[in-house]
Amino acid sequence: MNIKTKLIFILGLVCFLCNCTKMEFEGPSIENLYGDFELIEPLKITNKNPNFSSNEQVGFHCVFNKPVEWEIRVLGLSTSASKEISGFSSIIDSNIVLWNGGPSQLPFFSEEECTIELTIENEVDTLRDTLTIVSSKTYEDGIWLENFEDGLPSDGLVHYNSDGGAMTFSLANDDALLGSSYFKMGGRVNWDWPLGNLDLPINITNINQNSDNLYINIGILSDLEDLHTGQFINILISEETDTPFNDNLNNNASDIFESTMEVYKIKVPVDWDGWQIKSFRYSDFEPVSPNNQDINFNMNPNDIKGIRISCQACPSSDGNPICPENFGKDVRTDIDHIIFTSNSSLLDQ
Amino acid sequence: MKRSILLLLVFFAVFLSANNLHAQNMENIWFDGLSRSYFARDAIDKNVTDDTLSARNISNGYNLLDLNTHVNPLKDIEIFAQLRIRNSFGSFFGSGTEINVRQLRAKGVINDKIRFSVGDLFLKQNKFTLYNYDEELTGYENEMLKPYRDIIHYENFYTENRWRLQGIQTDFSFEFDRFIRSLSFDLFVTRPRGSSQINETTYSSDLLLSGGSMVSQINKRLSLSTNYINLFEVASSGTNNISVRNPVYDMSLLHYFANDKYQIEQKLQSGFSQRYWLHSEIENGISDSTSNDTKGMYFEFDNKYLEKDSTIMLTFGYRYVDPNFRSSGAQTRRLNYAEGTSNKIYPIYTNMSLIRPASVFDLVTDDHLYNQELASTLMVFNPIYSNVLPYGDATPNRTGIYLMTKINTKNKVVISKINAGFYKEVVGQGTSEKRKFGLLKGAFKINFHKWMKWEKELSLASSSESELTRRGGEDISSINLFSHQMNLSVNAELIKKFFIQASYKHFSADGNEFLTQRDNYGNITYFTSTQINQKDHILSCGMLYKFRKNVYANINYNWWGTKFTDQPYSDYKYNRLIFILSVKL
Repeated sequence: MNIKTKLIFILGLVCFLCNCTKMEFEGPSIENLYGDFELIEPLKITNKNPNFSSNEQVGFHCVFNKPVEWEIRVLGLSTSASKEISGFSSIIDSNIVLWNGGPSQLPFFSEEECTIELTIENEVDTLRDTLTIVSSKTYEDGIWLENFEDGLPSDGLVHYNSDGGAMTFSLANDDALLGSSYFKMGGRVNWDWPLGNLDLPINITNINQNSDNLYINIGILSDLEDLHTGQFINILISEETDTPFNDNLNNNASDIFESTMEVYKIKVPVDWDGWQIKSFRYSDFEPVSPNNQDINFNMNPNDIKGIRISCQACPSSDGNPICPENFGKDVRTDIDHIIFTSNSSLLDQ
Repeated sequence: MKRSILLLLVFFAVFLSANNLHAQNMENIWFDGLSRSYFARDAIDKNVTDDTLSARNISNGYNLLDLNTHVNPLKDIEIFAQLRIRNSFGSFFGSGTEINVRQLRAKGVINDKIRFSVGDLFLKQNKFTLYNYDEELTGYENEMLKPYRDIIHYENFYTENRWRLQGIQTDFSFEFDRFIRSLSFDLFVTRPRGSSQINETTYSSDLLLSGGSMVSQINKRLSLSTNYINLFEVASSGTNNISVRNPVYDMSLLHYFANDKYQIEQKLQSGFSQRYWLHSEIENGISDSTSNDTKGMYFEFDNKYLEKDSTIMLTFGYRYVDPNFRSSGAQTRRLNYAEGTSNKIYPIYTNMSLIRPASVFDLVTDDHLYNQELASTLMVFNPIYSNVLPYGDATPNRTGIYLMTKINTKNKVVISKINAGFYKEVVGQGTSEKRKFGLLKGAFKINFHKWMKWEKELSLASSSESELTRRGGEDISSINLFSHQMNLSVNAELIKKFFIQASYKHFSADGNEFLTQRDNYGNITYFTSTQINQKDHILSCGMLYKFRKNVYANINYNWWGTKFTDQPYSDYKYNRLIFILSVKL
């Protein structure tokens, strides 16, 4: 090939390459991303009168001209319950953005009027709508539930330090989270950490969830009035399969939470006012005795045999003044509605 | 525990067997390797007042020995093991002492015809299929920072732009007496990543890389080569039913001409790639499907002129890389800016405990910022330090011309290099307007000792590297980013083998850019507008004693830091004292 032929060949190839790609540009339009915000389709709600007890859902739909940070807030006008859903997108898809009637945190919604607000970050306008809850969501649907509505379970065990003052390890009906009954755990043991515990047997041998998909939810009540700053709850779950739940009838506590057994725990500091629901993935629990080589710590929800809710607080008396600021204060870590759920926490169900 | 016992067993097995072999026949076993002593003391500059939470100074160091054992049980077989013994300063009675098998390889020749290697391989094909491109800001760096670079390259197995992979490789060739002169083949299969447990019930799949090359010398002036490479996951080895496939096909024609004064090489190279994710539906009894399928091609016309006495080398050419060209083996970056990668030196700074952004000094000294694994999607890059060709010559969405020259005087008194390129995008990103890029790098070194005919070395080196990125169009999407790096260094041999060194490196970047965000399949999802105005500096001085080539002791002091203007970061300044004793066995 002479030079002229080579040049024609190369130029032809360059022209061919320059016409190869038909795309106008890659990615989303910058002019849209950083240009003025526009509402393409207004906020639409798929169900104005949801019956959440029948598992109905409310879908939200809206379209913008560019991806934005958005937040939908549902507010119950009677209960002041609220639910926030947020995201970053140009489309709020009613098949994906769904509300099943649960709040983001307590209180729960009841049969009531609700306002809906859709706000966009850095935009002043708010899109509004309303809906009416025909029937509120129920929270009884779990793998295992203890709500104290039928009293303390007959095989449950309560143990507390009887030398303490104002000890409250009993059922109460004045301020339940759901239903009418809850279990009070509190009092004053200034000289030691443990106040007492509630042990409940569990039999869930027929479930197929693994520890990543099993959630333990519990309602916990405290108050900020004279708050005991060192109070917390320890939740222990036992997978001990050889020892009976109440092996030794001479004590008031279960015998399956010993340090030589396959027991997992999580610690929950309690420092808020009123009820809160706390949810924990079972796989986030830690072994109680991780260095004990004789125990095979292999989490298996089918083997769960019992749960212990243990109330503890930092001691404050002269003999053991670790938290002197709490001297004379009452501990309050009341509980209600202990429920095991699969795949997500109770409020995300 | 089991791993430690296994390592000790391997260690003693190799050493005991080595001693045995040594006793039998000294020629069957031989050793080489590297030993390094490293000590660094980092300190916050005394003028810095807004960081009272961090320690004012931190020191660390280690001694290590990489012992390479070569065992030749047969004439044509070699077993190679690299054992590392590393002891951190401050460790005591064995705690903090690590013993690792760093490399293992068996290689040999079958019947004097077929070569093979099994184990740790260092592989390279060409710049579009499998190539480990140099990290940014290295091409024209001064000699004084070379010990740092050596450590980064050594610790990350960066040798000759090869990727370190584990697998099997073979090569063989044929010679002919008519039609063509020779035909060579090179084939390999490697596993860059093994299956691993993600959580209790999910396992990632094996990631494999296979490829082959065929080179044919057609006649004295013409050779043809083809390359194929494929990065793919084996879905059945994990629990995910989605697996990536990234085959790349390449062909090049090389024309060679030489006379007694010069030689000319012309290369036409082209190829194409495909990348998609395969969704296996075998469990559901339906046929497999694919998603995120992209196809792209590239073309390069490269011309090289070389004077036989090596005084002039000139390369120029044209390159086109399609926006959808994807080649994991060539586009994986060394520098890893992924989230979660933090600087080793003072990762947190100021009393607000901010995460310290990386500076040029971190890129030069911190081997933890570098990557050894092939990535199936484009890795994140920082436009401040490399915006024109962040993925080397294989950077997708680029078309343009380039020029490289290297000019030396015959006696090597002056050595100079120039590298220039003018590129533009093939399609715009986020707008139909295309970015235009300019690249100009130049360096020279004056060897005064050769000029003056001195025995002891005295040299001055300087370099300048500039990158310009511009995009016009609407104000909202326009871009204007300029970055510049300047190096100056002096090397003076005071007494035989003993050098005094000083260097200054200054880097500045000013302008604006849009950072690209991509999803798990590499699709662009967002552009983050960013304003840039920063200046990095490193001032160093020190001493070097060269026992011989690759055996040296180096002590130097660095003053370094970064100054931000109108940025959400605080300025910082640090000092470092470093000692390195490096012995290549």
